Amino acid sequence: MIEAAGLVKHFRSADGRVVKAVEGVSFVVGPGEMVGLLGANGVGKTTTMRLIATLLRPTVGTARIDGCDVTVDPLGVRRRLGYLSATTGVPDRLAPREVLQSFGRLYGLDQAVLAHRVPALLDALGLGDCAARPCGRLSTGQRQRVSLGRALVHDPPALVLDEPTSGLDVVGARDLLDLLERLRGEGRSILISTHRLHEIERRCDRFLIIHAGRIVAAGTREEMAAAPGGLEGAFFAAVEPGAHP
Amino acid sequence: MSAWRGILAVAAFQLRRLLAPQRVIVAALAATFPAAVMLAVRRIAGDIDRNFAVVLLYALVPEMLCMLGLLVTMCPVVADELERGTWQHVAVRPGGRWSLLLGTFLAAVTWTATVALVAIALTLLAAGLPDSGRLAAVFAALVVVSCVGRAALFALPAVIVPKRALVASVAAAFVVEYLAGFLPAVINQLTVSLRLRSLLVHWMGWERALPTELQLLVDPQPAWVQIMAVVLLASVMLVAAGLILARRQFPPAEEA
Repeated sequence: MIEAAGLVKHFRSADGRVVKAVEGVSFVVGPGEMVGLLGANGVGKTTTMRLIATLLRPTVGTARIDGCDVTVDPLGVRRRLGYLSATTGVPDRLAPREVLQSFGRLYGLDQAVLAHRVPALLDALGLGDCAARPCGRLSTGQRQRVSLGRALVHDPPALVLDEPTSGLDVVGARDLLDLLERLRGEGRSILISTHRLHEIERRCDRFLIIHAGRIVAAGTREEMAAAPGGLEGAFFAAVEPGAHP
Repeated sequence: MSAWRGILAVAAFQLRRLLAPQRVIVAALAATFPAAVMLAVRRIAGDIDRNFAVVLLYALVPEMLCMLGLLVTMCPVVADELERGTWQHVAVRPGGRWSLLLGTFLAAVTWTATVALVAIALTLLAAGLPDSGRLAAVFAALVVVSCVGRAALFALPAVIVPKRALVASVAAAFVVEYLAGFLPAVINQLTVSLRLRSLLVHWMGWERALPTELQLLVDPQPAWVQIMAVVLLASVMLVAAGLILARRQFPPAEEA
């Protein structure tokens, strides 16, 4: 389970101004649930996700992963969380198998566990055929799947995915989202952010719309679909009250 | 045990990165440079004095070559990850930040020391000194001490100002190692350069031959005290760097 409770994050900019990136964000993502965090660029999606992933410390409020608090037990959170960002950050010189093994060791997994888990994960991600090819020679979609494998190598119950389909073509995005649906079916809690609404409107169970650091609307897939203009209509109504999609 | 797995995984990855063909070529050139200097000196001066050759070797390898090697390998420990977009993937792992720091430290020391040891072997061959075997052992020890101490020193600017780490480390090298290190006061006790000089003087048996004014620039304590001082200094600096790195936050806009 992923819980955010009154998350606030303020940064101090280079010129001394206080930038209010996130202002009191609260939500829950239950087991076996995929929730979409929707918003335009620069409204606080990435900061919210990084607060949950312990990459940033909240100014106020907290977040919990399976009961582990990011402010009290960040190491416990990291053990229970898989994190994926838009920048794949996959080393060009390493092959997918080596990437998963290296990051598995960063989680303290021993060789016996990795010898079993890495090939299984590569097969599940459809990377079996290119497991030994340097990542620099893989397509963007394949690299993003390697990145997802890196987030899954320790078998976490919760996933935080920051714009995972960014840079992928239509087929690559569909394959990745299919894979995420399978992971949800295994009972994982998944929080996924994007500003490409059409990709996830039929995939997520619920949606949270964030604007200017606040959750301005929330609802189930059915509720959003029933809104005038569907999910897109609900999104624009929330972020630009009075405007029409 | 699991912490070691993470550290070794990072070290193996960083060494693999350092084994890129361009880096190997640069390292090979760096390893031959001191020998080329020694040959040039011999060519100009003919037979050179043994003590002069030792001082030249000391200046070229444990000081200059090790410093330069560690600037290149240790300084980008965080900056490289930020630039490649891999910082967040390392930082989100339990112990990932410590593994990154200590694994990179291990790789930087291993790589730089290896290049420096090759340089010593080549330079001693070029110098043609009679007791090369003993000198090789002395300088191998000095190289290891230099690499451990200086890599830990450069870890601090690398985590405090990642994007200006190179400039900050060069400044730290000059201010701490070559300014404070030559001040005959309490402050030079905190420098690696004092310990290295003292070890060189001790192992070469130069204590009594050293002029009084130069004796102020070395520490009379035995070799094990100098080595333990470097180990202590390096440990303190690495722990400080690790604690700083464990708390570092990079707003999304600061990455890339």
